[in-house]
Amino acid sequence: MPRPGFVLEVDRSTPPILTWHGESFRLERLPAERSRVIYAPEPMEALEDPDEAVRQALLNPLGDAKPLPDLLFPGMRLTIAFDDISLPLPPMRRPDNRQRVMEAVLDMAATAGVDDVVLICALALHRRMTEAELRHAIGDRVYDAFAPSGRLLQHDAEDPDGLVHLGTTDQGEDVEINRRAAESDLLVYVNINLVAMDGGHKSVATGLASYRSLRHHHNVRTMRHSRSFMDQDHSELHSSNWRMGRLIAASGVKVFQIETTLNNDAFPEQMAFLQKREWEWSARDRAGYLATAKSLSVTPPRLARSIFQSIKAPHRMTSVHAGEVEAVHKVTTEMVYRQQLVPVEGQTDIAVFGLPHLCPYNVNSIMNPILVMCMGLGYLFNLYRGKPVVRQGGVAILSHPTPWAFHPVHHPSYIDFFEEVLADTIDPIEIEKTYEARFANDEWYRHLYRTSHAYHGVHPFYMWYWGAHALEHLGRVIIVGGEPKAVRRLGFSPATTLTDALEMASDVVGRDATITHLHCPPIMIADVS
Amino acid sequence: MKALQIERSLARFAAARVSAHPSPLRLSEIDPPDLPADGWEIVRPRLSGICGSDLATVTGRSSRWFEPIVSFPFVPGHEVVADRADGSRVVVEPVLHCRIRGVEQLCRACTAGRTNHCERLVAGHLTPGLQTGYCKDTGGGWSLALAAHPDQLHVVPDGWTDEAAVMIEPTACAVHAALAPPVGSDLTAVVIGAGTIGLATIASVARLRTDVSTLIAVAKHPDQRRLAQSFGAHFVVEPGEVRRAVRRATGSWVLDQGQLTGGADIVWDCVGSADSIAEALAVVAPGGTIILAGMPGHVGIDLTALWQREIRLVGAYAYGPEPAGGGRHSFELAIDVVGAADLGQLVTAAYPLDRYADAIAHAAHAGRRGATKVVFDLRHEKRR
Amino acid sequence: MSGTDFPGSHEPKRRLPVTPDSARDLAASARARLRPPSSFPLAPPTWPGTIPRPPVERTLGVDYDSDWARSPAARVGRAVVQDVIAAPVVRVLASPTVRGLDRIAHLNEPVIFAANHFSHLDAPLLVSVIPERWRRELFVAGAADYFFDTRIKAATFAFLLNAIPIERQRVSIQSARRVSEMLEDGWSMLIFPEGGRSPDGWGQPHRAGAAWMAMRTERPIIPVHVEGTRRILAKGSSKFRPGRTQVTFGRPLKPAADSDPRQMAVELEAAIAALADEIENDWYTARRRAAAGTTPSLSGPDGPGWRRTWALGDPDAEARRRRRHEKWPWRS
Repeated sequence: MPRPGFVLEVDRSTPPILTWHGESFRLERLPAERSRVIYAPEPMEALEDPDEAVRQALLNPLGDAKPLPDLLFPGMRLTIAFDDISLPLPPMRRPDNRQRVMEAVLDMAATAGVDDVVLICALALHRRMTEAELRHAIGDRVYDAFAPSGRLLQHDAEDPDGLVHLGTTDQGEDVEINRRAAESDLLVYVNINLVAMDGGHKSVATGLASYRSLRHHHNVRTMRHSRSFMDQDHSELHSSNWRMGRLIAASGVKVFQIETTLNNDAFPEQMAFLQKREWEWSARDRAGYLATAKSLSVTPPRLARSIFQSIKAPHRMTSVHAGEVEAVHKVTTEMVYRQQLVPVEGQTDIAVFGLPHLCPYNVNSIMNPILVMCMGLGYLFNLYRGKPVVRQGGVAILSHPTPWAFHPVHHPSYIDFFEEVLADTIDPIEIEKTYEARFANDEWYRHLYRTSHAYHGVHPFYMWYWGAHALEHLGRVIIVGGEPKAVRRLGFSPATTLTDALEMASDVVGRDATITHLHCPPIMIADVS
Repeated sequence: MKALQIERSLARFAAARVSAHPSPLRLSEIDPPDLPADGWEIVRPRLSGICGSDLATVTGRSSRWFEPIVSFPFVPGHEVVADRADGSRVVVEPVLHCRIRGVEQLCRACTAGRTNHCERLVAGHLTPGLQTGYCKDTGGGWSLALAAHPDQLHVVPDGWTDEAAVMIEPTACAVHAALAPPVGSDLTAVVIGAGTIGLATIASVARLRTDVSTLIAVAKHPDQRRLAQSFGAHFVVEPGEVRRAVRRATGSWVLDQGQLTGGADIVWDCVGSADSIAEALAVVAPGGTIILAGMPGHVGIDLTALWQREIRLVGAYAYGPEPAGGGRHSFELAIDVVGAADLGQLVTAAYPLDRYADAIAHAAHAGRRGATKVVFDLRHEKRR
Repeated sequence: MSGTDFPGSHEPKRRLPVTPDSARDLAASARARLRPPSSFPLAPPTWPGTIPRPPVERTLGVDYDSDWARSPAARVGRAVVQDVIAAPVVRVLASPTVRGLDRIAHLNEPVIFAANHFSHLDAPLLVSVIPERWRRELFVAGAADYFFDTRIKAATFAFLLNAIPIERQRVSIQSARRVSEMLEDGWSMLIFPEGGRSPDGWGQPHRAGAAWMAMRTERPIIPVHVEGTRRILAKGSSKFRPGRTQVTFGRPLKPAADSDPRQMAVELEAAIAALADEIENDWYTARRRAAAGTTPSLSGPDGPGWRRTWALGDPDAEARRRRRHEKWPWRS
């Protein structure tokens, strides 16, 4: 029976706590009597026969949806959209949830005699996936059946002919999505709901949308009013997506939503110590830690990066639900919370976040300084329900090497954002006002986004907006072990060790400040009362 | 009198090429120059700058091109602020053109007023020499006295410091470079290099080229970046970031070899190395202009782009009346620029003649050592 | 090579140094050399004709007792031989492309692998590509009359492949009981439901044994399609010709308590045919045809033998023609 999440009060006999540091990790001793550590719940039991569970979900949909076979008929236009490379993290071992679900859906489509099937990777403004990445996500069989005939597409948010404007919501938000998806007899969306933010109306309204549509909820104001975006009821990001989703449904697009959840078993057996509580480490775990940490300390960064990027998580499917979007998403969110929610009492003055090697936007890529900011202040900071774990005016301490390094193919506009925009200002409002339009409409970024494997020109702005709430909330941000030049460009303070960082933090929050360390990954959500 | 002198010695030039020491230069006691003709006068330098071309000469890296148009032994120094006998302060315009040389039949260039294009640099009553500071007869700024023709002298405005005044000559070069490319509108321009000429060019462009709407400066060192920004550059970038900065500013694309599809309308190369010219060719727009404001010397570059994109590669030397500046002389315009941008602050180190080796070393690594213009201070030298 | 020299008259020269024929000759000569002297007491005594012989205990064929092959020592030995010798040889000889392992990734229980059968190479090939969690506890159902007819053959196959004798002509209570006991003990089985190698490259009708066994033990059957082994070593051929093979694992078929073994055998046959269709075309086309009941049959057209051979085609012919023109050093 997996144990639920847990908050450890640090005392003098507490061992040092494992803290992620990019492509490595450190053992950090936290000050006794005023620190606590939040541990994620242990991985839930997986479905015994996931394929059968998927089939049953398709046959017994939730909400007012009909079973999938009843929605399929010969001669119809069927479009299956699926989540892109940003999910799950780390990428899961084959077979991926998307493959299982798509094969089941296609099996039923084959039985019903459907010929006109198109698969669309719902990547919004993310980079196009490579063949190998697509094969990993949807499996070789599906890839080989659809890619050669051009029936496996990647959403293009900048294709004027490939988009259709469905209308504007009562708040004046443009809803413009993929034409093929909108004009199909049935749109099946295959989700992996890694965190509570994923899925629901966000799948179609964001994943298949254009820049014109996305900017209504991907902006500073929305992100500052999403507290947090892991909690749909208090997230402006979700309210906006829900309005759009309802408009999409009202304009006649028939969406059959399929959502799957994973347990948080994120690391392979030989790295099991990464998701264990330190005082329970066996001799083998300790040996594993020592060997890994030692060898990583002498591994060149590039090699370390490729080793870490090759990690495939042993994630297993814990639930699958299908049918009407909102009904499905309600159940799915409960499942995500069941795996991730940890009750935490009250806020503290300082939050310590160890940043791993990976965030949603650097799979098979480099975690550049902007992504460090987004991972720390966008994602880890927002892993809460209720209140942030750190109080208003408190300090966030991130641990990451933060190299001044960018993937030239994946993140071209990030380089310019870092060199030009951040050299000028780090204020999200100012950035949005002065620079967003130029980056969003840059021909060259558009070309790279559409034809290469580059994130859209505006994407680094969204990364910055993701952390806008935290920037406003926090008194100071310190990065431990970061490249000073890069850290300063982000507007943060560099520190060499955690002790130094805590010392620096005391200037803002006093000497007896309380500390919370989020022991993440594996992913958890702090339910702060 | 005390003077730094350069003699024609192949051995010394060769030695300078392989060592850091400015071997061709010798501190010696010489007689003040004789006046070459009536009307000439002796002026006494107060400050005398070390220019990039001087550095090339004393380190033996100067091109052999100059051999026929200099006369040995000469006293270097052509960025000079000096006292006249009557106590007034002047700056020297060093070009030794027809009128200065006493050539009666002015050459075509001098007739047209383009004295920097003078075709008689080896004629007249002077020994060959393109400028004061390269001519045996006139002497140069790195000494206590030099001979000057009244036409060469520009009066320093009242209340100016010597530091500001010594910047007038290099700024005049920058003004000339800034006004060389044709006038357009809403232009994007790049200045590569943020030494004296680079910074003075930035200041000149910001003041005199209202048609340049986006000015990108390339600077390596923190002080240079700060100065470039304060002189009016809109974007200041590091050397590795130029292409991306120009791409952003012009909305160009980037091809596989890293070259831009478009680029800047004007590039001022104030470095003059093979790398800087190559970089200029990489970021200049088709049909654009590259101005070589720094003395290039012998460089190897790929000119394919120049041909395929009809790029104009133009030199900018010295000064004269500026048609693009309303016909005013470069020196006049330079006085405006120096005053407006307070370029006197660029004079960051002054040395007595005795410490010439230190001075040369400092000037050679000015940027890295947080300096821009290094000068000889002759105000405290004993005059006999 | 003598005689006329027109295209196609030459056998390709690429050939392994050992062929089944030469191996057989070698074994025979070794036996002859090792035969003991023929006189008693060095040789066993002859039986007096006046005394009735007691009935001989049958220890071969279906009665062969292969329990020894599952002793710890034999298992270690087999693992070494399979991994160190057999697997690398198979890889060189058959260069297998393995597909569909993801369909069985979530299974951990003992299973029945049911494959089509072209060649003696099928069993070693499959043993080398079946995932490790099954490979160590896997037995191969072998024809009692073919593999277990002499003591040496029986011992060899029992050791190398953990083969167990199965009657292929009739249902034998004894072999069925043994197999189901082993499946229940946690062993997995590899069986060729066609009951023998294809004589002509086309599939043969399936027998219900595999399905019957699955139902009796409630183990899932994993359909496996093997392609290409016939070109490497066909039935009746004695030459190995290295080539490429494809092994495709299908989605497990779970026996329901009330299903009919004959029905399940039909499903299994269809599943293997669909796997063949999947690698021949693409997966979705195969699913469409399977759903519509138009999956091309593996048993080929009816009619005279030449029509069946003609319909089979030979995808390697072109490659062989090309290979003939390759120059040294690719070809000596």
